Formats: sequence, C-alpha cells, structure tokens
Amino acid sequence: MKLAGNDILIQSLIEEGVEYIFGYPGGAALHIYDSIFKQKKMEHILVRHEQGATHAADGYARATGKPGVVLVTSGPGATNAITGIATAFMDSIPMIVISGQVAKHLIGTDAFQETDMIGISRPIVKHSFTVDSAENIPEIVKQAFHIATSGRPGPVVIDVPKDTTAPDKLFEFKYPNDVDIRSYKPPIDPDPNQIERAVDAIIESNKPVIYAGGGAINSNASEELIRLNEILDFPVTNTLMGLGVYPATHKRFLGMLGMHGTYQANMSMHNADLIIAIGARFDDRITNTPKLFAPNAKIIHLDVDYSSVSKIIEANIAVFGQVKNSLLEMIELLEAKKELIDPKKILPWKEQISDWKSQHGLNHEMHLCETDDKPIMPQAVVQHLYNITNGKAFITSDVGQHQMFAAQYYHFDEPRKWINSGGLGTMGFGLPAAMGAKLAYPNDEVICITGEGSIQMCIQELSTCTQYNLPIKIININNEALGMVKQWQDMNYGGRHSASTYQSSLPNFVELAESYGHVGIKIEKNSELKSGLEKALSMKDRLVFVDVYVDPDEHVYPMLVAPNGSLKDMWLDKETKT
Amino acid sequence: MIQRKLSIILENKPGALVRVVGLFHQRGYNIESLHVDPVEDLKEYKFVEDKLNIKLKEGEVSHLIIATTVNDNLLRQILRQINKLIDVLIVEEVK
Repeated sequence: MKLAGNDILIQSLIEEGVEYIFGYPGGAALHIYDSIFKQKKMEHILVRHEQGATHAADGYARATGKPGVVLVTSGPGATNAITGIATAFMDSIPMIVISGQVAKHLIGTDAFQETDMIGISRPIVKHSFTVDSAENIPEIVKQAFHIATSGRPGPVVIDVPKDTTAPDKLFEFKYPNDVDIRSYKPPIDPDPNQIERAVDAIIESNKPVIYAGGGAINSNASEELIRLNEILDFPVTNTLMGLGVYPATHKRFLGMLGMHGTYQANMSMHNADLIIAIGARFDDRITNTPKLFAPNAKIIHLDVDYSSVSKIIEANIAVFGQVKNSLLEMIELLEAKKELIDPKKILPWKEQISDWKSQHGLNHEMHLCETDDKPIMPQAVVQHLYNITNGKAFITSDVGQHQMFAAQYYHFDEPRKWINSGGLGTMGFGLPAAMGAKLAYPNDEVICITGEGSIQMCIQELSTCTQYNLPIKIININNEALGMVKQWQDMNYGGRHSASTYQSSLPNFVELAESYGHVGIKIEKNSELKSGLEKALSMKDRLVFVDVYVDPDEHVYPMLVAPNGSLKDMWLDKETKT
Repeated sequence: MIQRKLSIILENKPGALVRVVGLFHQRGYNIESLHVDPVEDLKEYKFVEDKLNIKLKEGEVSHLIIATTVNDNLLRQILRQINKLIDVLIVEEVK
C-alpha cells in the first residue's frame, strides 16, 4: 500500500491501537490534521491549551496503563506541551508526543514558529526522534511506543518536519511487527541469587516494612504485592505515587509515608530493621534528611531502573527487573521456605505500630461537623466524597493542600484510581487528567479534587469538557489562598503571606462553570456539605463544578520537620512536635 | 577525589553526543575533557560485538572519552545514568 507521510503517521498510530489523540492544530501540523480528518478509528480531542493535551494524555495513561498520545504544532505548540511532558517524565508515565516542525530546509533559519523541540525537551524525555523521511515513520513510531512503555516508562517526543508529511509524495507503507533496539535492553527477570538473598533477609527480620511506590503500579504488580503479603503479613506503606497498589482498607496498611505521611508509617520506616522498597525511589519527600533515614534498616530494593537504586539510600540487596517478575520469584521462593517464617517473631513490632497508630494516627472524626458555627474542614469534604462514592471513584488532583487531604482521606483500594502529579507537582494537572480518565472509563465516576489556585491554571479545559460531553465532577476546595504556600509562610516566615492571597479577585466559579454550559454548586456551610456533594454526584450526565468554601487557616498534618529532620521528626498539629 | 576516564560507545546518530554531554550538566557533574571519534577500525572494537552479540559496521558507532573528577558512589551513578540513554551501547571506566 502506498501512502503519503501524513497518512503513514496516522496509520502507524492506528496500528499501535491508539484510541484517542489529544492535540491542537497549527501550521506545521496541518498535513497530519488532514489525515486525522480522513479516518474514523482514532478520535482527536481538541483541547484549549497544549498543556491540557499532555495532562489529558497523561491521565488516560495513568488510568489505563496504555500510552497517552499528544499532537501539537511547532514553536509555541511544542513549548506549551513542555510542562506536561516534564510531569509525565517525573512520574514515569508512558506518553508519545508528536510535535510539528518547520520543513527541513527551514530548520536553523529562525523560521516562523520554529523552535528546537528536541533540544528543549531533551532533559525531560526518555528519548526523542526527528523524522528525516516519511519512509522511516513506521520504524520510528514502533520504536517510540516500545521505549515509552517498556522498562521504566516515560515520554517520547517525535519531531516531524512539515515536508516529511507532505500529501503529494507517496511511499510504500508496512508497519513493522517487531522491534529490536540493540542499545536498549531494560531488565525483565531478576537475578535468582539476589532473590535468594532478599528472601533470607526477609526471614531474618524482626521489624520489617514494605514500602511500595509508583513503579509497582507501572509494572501492574498490585496482585503480586497482595499475594506476597498474604505469606508475610508485614506492615505496608505506599508513597504518594503508589497509593492504591496495596488496599488502603487492609489491616496491614499504614497509610502514606513521607512529608505528609501518617505518624505510624513514618515511625515504622524510621525504626525498621528491614525495608523492602518496591518500585519506589527514596526521593526527598520520603527520606527527609538522607543521613538520618532509617538508621537500623537493611534495604532490599526492587526496581527496573538501575540508576534509581543506591542513588539516595544505599541498597544492601538490589533486585533489578520488572517488579512484577521479581515479586513472583520472591513469592515462589518464600512458599518453598514457608516453614522458616516465624510469624510470632514480628508480633511485638506489630503491637508497637498499632500503639503508634492509636497515639497519633489520622483522626477521622474531628473534621466532621454538622453545625454551621464552625467553617467546613477540607478533610471533611474528602471524607464525604469517599463515603458517597464507596471509595470506587477515579480521583485526580492538582497540587497543594487539597492534594494531601485527598491522599490522606480518600482510601484507595485499587491501583490507577489515584491520579496526581507527584514528582513535578504540577498545578493545572487535575482537570485535564480527569478528562483523559473519563474518556478511558466513561461509565466510572471521575472526580477532580482541586483548589481555587490550581484549577485556574488549566480552567480553559472546561470548554473541552463541553465539546466532548465529559461529565466529570470538579470539587474545588476553596480556601481563597495558595494554601500550601501560606502554610509554609505560617510555619517558617512569621505568617507573612507574600503573594499567596487573592481573595478579592477570585471569579464566581458557579457562574464561570455555567457560562461553559456546566452546572455550578456553591457550598459554604457544614449543613449543606453532604447533601450538596450528593446532589452533584447524582447528576451523572453533567459536569458539576462544586465550589466548597473551607476553613482558610487549616494546615496539613502530620508534616516532617525540615531541614535536618528525620522521619520520626514531625509536626502533628500547629503546636505539637514529636 | 581523582580524575576518572569514561569510555562510551554510542550510536553515531545526530543528537546522540549532546544527550551524553547534556546529562553531565543536568545531573550536576563536570566534564573536564572530551574526545569523540567515529569508529572506523573495527578490529579494536570486537569487545562491543562480543558483549552485545551484534555486528558493527564502519562509522556506525562513535567512541567518546570523557574525563571527570568524582568519588566512587557518584561514578557508579554517572555510569548508570549514561547507560540509560537509549543511544548508548556500552559505558565503562577506563582503568
């Protein structure tokens, strides 16, 4: 079959099974857009800003495990996509970004809408390609999808000069069946010797903790993790990126760890004699001061990425490979050595953890209030949402206090239900990410928990939701300030709220949502909270924007003491330090 | 700390070199010297073919030598980061 470059590109994406492509047209991408118009297998979602396209593709990828696909034009189209690419890169999300480029003969001449996309995106992509000829497009697309989805996943940019997609030059089209990149062989199966060492260390341990992160979700290893712990019955904590990979309602779940982790999760990590890290990378929100981190713990680290192991915290036993495969090998060996596991040995440790939890665990009752003499607590909003949705919704979030409250108080029992920008911390992520998740799962509830600061960073996507009829629910936890910034200013800068308030200039969010054709609900009193949220969630076919006014003075706790603190050093409330 | 020399075999493709060089700056490492040549005489590079079980063609890969002063832990990290680059075939310390 002979096709032009633009059709070759689109056919290649169809061969990869792409259902949705998120994008925005422009000069250098027009040949490609013409090919999109002529086919029906893949739906193009027209966003209102290229940042929205990348976050929507990212939300789709996190919800499904399949790569998200983005198409933008050259110059500003490409640069607008950068924040979303960096977001996906930091959280290891598979994504393909196709950027238009000026024609080859114009490259380097400062042509209209020319920018060096390969150069600009280089530090925030897993790899990138420039199309040199239409003939090479199938091979490049095949390689790009392989690289984006294998090993430690990540975004791949394909920069496409306009002349390589010209409709008037035809080439033979055949999509490759296989891909082999000789310089790229990520590990899959672990070294059996390391598995044996890991299992021996597990059997010897008295104070073990399992610490699982986003890598376990990427490797689809939730089931294996649960099976492993049916044998071990060890305490488990998840990172912000890992929430849902181990059921939050399981009796062995400690909650999230780290900066705003639970008291029992942070204390368990600090006092452990064995930490089993599974697809987690010991980043600075987790370790606090690395030198003071878990002083008595032996570290077993399972990861697919060599460079993530012993980067911050030295691993005693490193297990390289797909986390899923490594867990399966560990399960097999542990079953063979079952008689060596003494469950009584760790009972004092479990009792200690249970004491920590009863001393300073999250208090769910204190935030709920029926009367209107007190302001709505932001935690109560999340707790009601959890109850109304039976914990089954996809929750996307933005960045700040609302994100931490969502992570603490919505208990995720399944992976891929919690969608947030953990690594880069990108405000504006939540709404477009919810669009991607809703397109992937139209029959599931998709809720964006956001704040009045974050939502304004990609609010234009309300228009996209109108065009494609995406009935997501937006819960705007409105404290009329940049809450997390303000919290730091309260704690570290004498309460000087520098550039963190804007109360008098906020829009009327109800009217704003209505102007896009959506439903807006304003909630200001405790007595209206539960019924208002129930009403919003009962409108299955409408996007509902719920603007909830909450206590502007509330802080997120626990909070690690920094700098120079360890994981046992926490603020538990405004006055109390451990 | 002493100066280390890294020997890197990478695909001779546009943009491959800048990925390695860029990584040094991005991760906060310093390049003290740099030398790069396309590999023409394949006899000396049989170790690449043996290690990866591939067949090389003249001019298809480049040999890059970078000197940098780092401690052992950082050296290990740099080697792993460079090895992660898709276009890099082999990276090792020159002893």
